[in-house]
Amino acid sequence: MPTKILSVDDSRTIRLIVGKAFRPYDVQMFEGSNGEEGLAAAAREKPDLIILDVTMPIMDGVTMLGKLKENPELKAIPVIMLTAESGRDNVLQIAKIGVRDYLVKPFKEDQLIEKAGRIVTLQKKPAV
Amino acid sequence: MSHTVQFTDVCEFMARHLADVFDTMLAMKAVQVPNAELPQFGERVSGAAGFGGETVTGAVYLHLSETFAKQVAAAMLGLSPEEITGESEVNDVVGEAANMLTGGLKSWLCDAGTECALSTPAIIRGTSFAIEPMPHVQREWLVFDCGGNRFVVEVHLKFN
Repeated sequence: MPTKILSVDDSRTIRLIVGKAFRPYDVQMFEGSNGEEGLAAAAREKPDLIILDVTMPIMDGVTMLGKLKENPELKAIPVIMLTAESGRDNVLQIAKIGVRDYLVKPFKEDQLIEKAGRIVTLQKKPAV
Repeated sequence: MSHTVQFTDVCEFMARHLADVFDTMLAMKAVQVPNAELPQFGERVSGAAGFGGETVTGAVYLHLSETFAKQVAAAMLGLSPEEITGESEVNDVVGEAANMLTGGLKSWLCDAGTECALSTPAIIRGTSFAIEPMPHVQREWLVFDCGGNRFVVEVHLKFN
């Protein structure tokens, strides 16, 4: 069974970069472009990990995170915040709601893989 | 609350942060060119994001020529410029770059005690447009060079 990862970001660019980072691994990617879509995808797919942006239209990442934690079926899904905002207060506020890790944009793909690899199993795909 | 952040500090931070964003996300070296004339673009792609709070408001604009914007998009997506066929990919990358630039500044301001929130980014395209700040807004243009391509970061800031 591949590891299921949900990327929630309003930027298609970031979703592409995240998808590209996990391409060498046995990972099934899912996407959402705002918190509402992210919550729906999380409920539908029950991912092993969510990579979540903060500033998004319609529903932001902090609101989505709060709703995840309120839902008994989804609250155990680990979340890595991937955001352009790194201010101390911002990090503390989000940490209180409950995230497993935090990655600030700009970021390198191997930083994301390292953080994700501490939370879920990332198995390299066999060479073709 | 009185602010201790100076506009010159903001511009110095932006110059460092721009170089970091280009290095990390694009593997491109961008260096500030002090006292340079503003480049004349033909078709221009500008990404913008704003921030605002009780004591500070402002915006950051990233102005690129269309040709260089395509190179930036290709570098961020790991493609060749020929593979970038639509405006939407370029717009999304330039918007995300503006978001990273402004987000870094917003975080820096918050850590300096100047709380504010970040807006989602926007894109402006065209051959002839000007951005005029509101009254009492400080503005600076920072010119950068990246492999012979000149581009501009425009910073607007107002302390309330």
